[in-house]
Amino acid sequence: MRDVVYADYQSSKPVDPRVVEAMLPYFAAGGTYGNAASLHAVGDDATAALEDARAAVAHFFGAQPQEILFTSGATEANNLALIGYAQRNRRKGDHVVITEAEHISVLNIAKYLEKNGFKVTRTPIDLYGRVSPKKLRARITDETILVSVGWASNEIGTVQPIAEIAEMLAGSGVALHTDAVAAEGLVPIDMSAVPVSLMSLSANDIYGPRGVGALYVRKGVQVAPVLLGGGQERGLRSGTEDLASIAGMAAAAEIMAAEMPADVARIAAIRDRLVGRVLAEIPDSHLNGAPLDPPGGRLPSNAHFRFDGVEGEAMILSLRDEGVAAATGSACSSKTLEPSHTLISCGLLHEEAHGSLEFTFGRFSKDDDVDRIMAVLPGVIARLRTLSPLYKVKTPA
Amino acid sequence: MKSTQYSEKTLEHFRNPRNVGTLEGPNVAVGRVGNPVCGDMMDIYIDVEDDRIKDIKFQTFGCGSAVATSSMVTELVVGMQLDEALKVSRGDVADALDGLPPIKMHCSNLAADALHEAIRNWRAGVKPEDATTTPVEKSCHPRPAEVVEVEIANLDDYKGKGVSTRVDDLSVLAGQRVVVLDTGDRAAQLAIDLTDHTGRVVLMTTGKEPSVSSAVRSALRLSDVKLLTEAQPLELKGEGELERIRVHDLNEDEEYELTADALVVLE
Repeated sequence: MRDVVYADYQSSKPVDPRVVEAMLPYFAAGGTYGNAASLHAVGDDATAALEDARAAVAHFFGAQPQEILFTSGATEANNLALIGYAQRNRRKGDHVVITEAEHISVLNIAKYLEKNGFKVTRTPIDLYGRVSPKKLRARITDETILVSVGWASNEIGTVQPIAEIAEMLAGSGVALHTDAVAAEGLVPIDMSAVPVSLMSLSANDIYGPRGVGALYVRKGVQVAPVLLGGGQERGLRSGTEDLASIAGMAAAAEIMAAEMPADVARIAAIRDRLVGRVLAEIPDSHLNGAPLDPPGGRLPSNAHFRFDGVEGEAMILSLRDEGVAAATGSACSSKTLEPSHTLISCGLLHEEAHGSLEFTFGRFSKDDDVDRIMAVLPGVIARLRTLSPLYKVKTPA
Repeated sequence: MKSTQYSEKTLEHFRNPRNVGTLEGPNVAVGRVGNPVCGDMMDIYIDVEDDRIKDIKFQTFGCGSAVATSSMVTELVVGMQLDEALKVSRGDVADALDGLPPIKMHCSNLAADALHEAIRNWRAGVKPEDATTTPVEKSCHPRPAEVVEVEIANLDDYKGKGVSTRVDDLSVLAGQRVVVLDTGDRAAQLAIDLTDHTGRVVLMTTGKEPSVSSAVRSALRLSDVKLLTEAQPLELKGEGELERIRVHDLNEDEEYELTADALVVLE
């Protein structure tokens, strides 16, 4: 494949080669290939490796090892957190609060809960995609048992005030779940400092393998299992542990713990340069989501634009021809043909949500990626605008 | 199936669309179609001579297949008798492109509809400047958007909770999504002034253009105010304060909700 500028880190990240290296001893004979449930020595090696990995992942997130349950990824972690918590705690109430900025994984689980007799309230977000703790609190009733707020938006990169929401809920009897997938490795996450009850994690988002993740379950928080079987992971997640992938997640966490500050500074510099150049060089372009300043309000990797009069899928196709991989919230690129719910909730009109283009950078982004993007993006926008019946409306007379 | 799994022919037409542009003249008619869900918008212009399509141009806002089908239909019908051109169907356009992904067949394969609309408009004597957008699969006849008296049923419930009838201190709306109802120059000027205080100001009007003087209109064009035309606010929603406005899209006859923190209805 030719050399593509990859600016879609939010969709998938390359696995760090050091992580691949760390996974290799867990496959074949001569390595650690046992079942952690077996009582023989081969099984004991597996148990030791599993617990080492658990400790490494826990350490990176400021958690205790016994608070980490390995899953097949964040989607499974979200299912276990929301369905498992709601079912286990149903006698306390039947009301769940989420936000309008949630990932589709959480939105669809919430619909499932509604079908199964729970009430779900969706808290609106502001212009920048941020949920207001005040508005969230106004939606909590005596029946509320669980609040779920994504740590950051996978789409527009807005970082939610999770610490503030967690402090607000602490001691109230209402559990807080957060899907931290978009935020992990990009903003500090420390369970010893923030009283979150449940947190979904994915390995790939810290440059580990796909197909593995974890659910953080704070000590004392009760969830019912969703997958039943042999009783692995304290009975909460049955199925023989995928040791190679789990070791990969642990290696990814250890590397990230050491390199995150430098990583983030470099990624943010690339992103800042792209945002600066796009807004300066392309007329009628806008940044969606939170402003770059103050820096804590937005993921350092995320640049999310809209361009008046241009549709997102057409931009993606044109950029693909020019060797640039990016993403869009346009309806035309989705399975449902609905535009991004997050952008609509931010207050954008459908036609504006259709014109969105998302670039996300990461550990292997190159410093000249911005130059290569900007060598083609203005031309792509200009060409599509000549085709567009909508753009002339915005041109000054 | 991935929406990007287009045939080579579709991609070729997307990359090098034929007959892009507009037409003018006494024998020109336009067909405008739009799909409110998918968001595609298509204008097809025909220049008719002796009941034949002498020239044809298009402009399209939409995804890859929206652009490619527009381009293809112009190639298919140029030089054709009008009756013959009316027989060119969506399926013919898709076939000519070696097929479209199934999910796109319904949504963005609008070019044949726009062509038929243009022919009908030409026969009915509808001038391009009077042609309205026809929502797909709703009506085959252009329906003029009437200017409607704005009456929001529960406006009073949100007075002081997001709704204001005057704004003395613009800074109180900082960082908010403000919708200003078009009540003339004063409202439009307020909308323009508000863009210094917040990143999101929408001027909402039931007309095709805001009812303002030409000086204010050009100031509006140059400003960051987002114009929302042919939109009628119906009802306000929100938990204790304004959060959403239910809006009737008069052009497409659809209802949707617009997220907003503040609504200004000048007295």
